[in-house]
Amino acid sequence: MLSREEWLPLARKLDWDFTYVREDEVFPQVISGHPWLPHSEWKEWEESFKTSYREYVDNQYEKDMAVYAVRDAVGRLENIQKLAAPWMNSLKLHAAALPLAEFTGVIGSLRGARFGRDSAWRTMSTFGALDEYRHTQIPLLLFHQLVRWDAQFDWAHKFYHTNNWFAVASRHFFDELILGQSAIEFAIGANFVLETGFTNLQFVGLASLARESSDHMFERMVTSIQTDEARHAQIGHPVIAVVMKHDPEYVQYLLDKWFWRSWRLFSILTGVSTDYLTALDQRPYSFKEFMEEWIIDQFLRTLDEFGLKKPWYWHIVEDELDIYHHMIYASAYTYRATLWFDFVIPSPAERKWLRQKYPKYWDDMDAVWEQVSERWRTVGPGAANELKVHGTALPTFCDLCQLPLSGGTPRKNTANVLAKDGRKYIFCSEPCRWIFLREPERYANHKDLVKRVLSGEAPTQLSELLTEYFRLTPETWGKDVHNGAYDWLAASKASSAQR
Amino acid sequence: MAIPLYGFLEGDTLGLLVLAEEGETVLDLARKLQDAASLRVARNDKIAFVYNGKAIELGLTVAQAGLQASDRFEVIGKGKL
Repeated sequence: MLSREEWLPLARKLDWDFTYVREDEVFPQVISGHPWLPHSEWKEWEESFKTSYREYVDNQYEKDMAVYAVRDAVGRLENIQKLAAPWMNSLKLHAAALPLAEFTGVIGSLRGARFGRDSAWRTMSTFGALDEYRHTQIPLLLFHQLVRWDAQFDWAHKFYHTNNWFAVASRHFFDELILGQSAIEFAIGANFVLETGFTNLQFVGLASLARESSDHMFERMVTSIQTDEARHAQIGHPVIAVVMKHDPEYVQYLLDKWFWRSWRLFSILTGVSTDYLTALDQRPYSFKEFMEEWIIDQFLRTLDEFGLKKPWYWHIVEDELDIYHHMIYASAYTYRATLWFDFVIPSPAERKWLRQKYPKYWDDMDAVWEQVSERWRTVGPGAANELKVHGTALPTFCDLCQLPLSGGTPRKNTANVLAKDGRKYIFCSEPCRWIFLREPERYANHKDLVKRVLSGEAPTQLSELLTEYFRLTPETWGKDVHNGAYDWLAASKASSAQR
Repeated sequence: MAIPLYGFLEGDTLGLLVLAEEGETVLDLARKLQDAASLRVARNDKIAFVYNGKAIELGLTVAQAGLQASDRFEVIGKGKL
């Protein structure tokens, strides 16, 4: 009997040289990607973690059984209902963002499964596509019991089908990166930058947060997903190794573009979950600490291995570690009805922790939270007063990433205007502007939410925007978890009154 | 006809859409932005209006200041420029 090491190489390398069709007819550049190289350049393509179909099926079956066992033990509705309210809202955020985005990963992986330039690449992409089916179906299954219990979990399932501003930003990202890319671009932008750079380790971090929050079902789910991610994220590495020999500038461009765009979305999803939607005594680290330990150092080492440079805007990322997700969370809190999950104001103890972890700009953020707290003190707590502690003016969005214009700091916002071809665009940052200018034909006709309102495509009144355009309802739109009834707010109001 | 402008108030966490009238003063416009951002930023009576990197005299109208649709302006504490 052949050992695995003897027969698996036969099962991985399966291509023959085409004699009755041209190679570029089988792998047209427009779908396979740039640079178009003959197979002789790709035939040494090698993945780090090899698997056979049989091994894949066996391993995935074991993983699934482990997830279902944990669900049966600690993932029932009565278990979930006991979780802390802020963490519950992190789950709602992920319940919306995760499943259909993972399904786009099926589509992107299948492009690699058909148009990857070597049989081993195509095989790994096939397994990658199966992984992404799993990553779609597991959260849909595990969260399903919650849809009747909480209308916001139910709404989460229509998130991507709405024009909610965060759905617009997410679709803008996934449509281009995952759905619209060639096989080479997907391998570099998605497998390497997004997955190796962010999501692989995001799941490690999320699992840790879930464990601290006593949410063992979500912990098991993301841990299980992460083991798949670690395998198929590696597809990017051997693709980069080949493309670097022929067009290193193109690899650098894809890295610079997709790292920035991934950073934007990732810092919102994970930064908000880590520093605001996890209870203080359950936070194992700050978002910045997590990024520095798990993402930044490791990613920079990986870039070195390939002879790639840090993205040109690295100094901006380093600075934004201290501020961007704080700007976004405070903005989102004051526009929480535009989203489908609830928010909390950081308490004095939490603000002290945040000051300790983020000393550079915390004075400015603390002033914002003090102002918001003062509004609750003035109007008084209660559901009836929710919209009195809510923004009324239309927030503004970046014409590239479609996210709020919250770049920079409260003292110096980095939004910048560009006049081009008779139109004006506004960007949250220099990197977003740079990406736009590199490919204006791709982005020039996209309409952000403000342009849709100004053109009459979207309503101008906030209430109609929420219900008609974002398809939220008073039951599903975001609120303060406590409707402003915080013990510490009441205590500080009482002590002010005594003075 | 209202002119849509992107307003950035010092101390705030995001930009806001402010609709301006040609005949209103930039001071009025600044106060509109401050009101819109009041949930997050306490009002400062001493302010400067900045457009295209320059401080604009507060008594000028929006038209006189040259503000056009989709332009960006800032309101900052006076003495900071």
